[in-house]
Amino acid sequence: MPVYLLLELILVLVLFALVRVYAPERTLLAGAILGAGATALLAVNYRALLSLEFWVGLIGFVAILSALMVVIHPNPMVSILFLIVNLFCIALFYLILQAQFLAALQIIIYAGAIMVLFVFVVMLLNLKAEVGLRVAAGPQRWGALLLGAAFVALLFNAIRGRLDQAYVEPGMFDPAFGAARGLGGLLFSKYLFAFEAASVLLIAAMIGAVIMAKRQVRR
Amino acid sequence: MRIEFFLLIAALLFAIGCVGVLIRRNAIVILMCIELMLNAVNLTFVAFAHDNQSMTGQVFVFFVMTVAAAEAAVGLAIIIALFRRRLTTDVEDASLMRW
Repeated sequence: MPVYLLLELILVLVLFALVRVYAPERTLLAGAILGAGATALLAVNYRALLSLEFWVGLIGFVAILSALMVVIHPNPMVSILFLIVNLFCIALFYLILQAQFLAALQIIIYAGAIMVLFVFVVMLLNLKAEVGLRVAAGPQRWGALLLGAAFVALLFNAIRGRLDQAYVEPGMFDPAFGAARGLGGLLFSKYLFAFEAASVLLIAAMIGAVIMAKRQVRR
Repeated sequence: MRIEFFLLIAALLFAIGCVGVLIRRNAIVILMCIELMLNAVNLTFVAFAHDNQSMTGQVFVFFVMTVAAAEAAVGLAIIIALFRRRLTTDVEDASLMRW
């Protein structure tokens, strides 16, 4: 049932996007009508709002949509903002999958540090939107799209066998699972060597980035 | 919650990032698509960690995040160096090692 509600909401969104693109002067009217329709849908099916499936589906839809926008938008700045939306969606997935500490790390490290780096570089280089979308020419473009579709089909085929299995109720909820204590315990015992190697990697990356970006260019 | 749905989302995200790397010509967008792929893999790790009730998958996500941070810093430094020399971030203009 929640799946149908989600599909109906997505249909409303697609209708709104179509009006927005093909009849921009009717945007306000269409927005009012479709918004009222969506509200009525939610009010009638309010029970579905309480189900986890509905929210997971909604977040997944937003994640896929924002990932597509990252790839197809000509302006790199807009791509970065959509990537941040995508990272937040994945952080929500981490919360649903009981990885609370990783969800916090995702927002702090990815959205807080790495994406700020991207924003700074785009603003520093003063990149404008590409005129038209610069994509690879001819065989590489179609080959990439074809291989991408084939890859999705392959992975879906691998997953499909388990999709029709009966729903398995997870075991007891363990509040310690996914918390910082357990993760730190593993990190400093079983994976200590990998942890130290990661610190060496970070130092190397830091020195490399500074040298690479500071080097004077002989013209 | 069934994890197959998360695996499906992760597969789609990975494929979108993969296609993005192959078709876009802007080096910064290519780096972002790589981040997209790393995130898809992270989501798979966390889903399987939840399924098996084992924290090892989450430790690996931690390491992937470390590598992603290092990769983004060095990649952006290379893009800045490229921009200083060629005044472009288009990968078509850095074709010295192309065969």
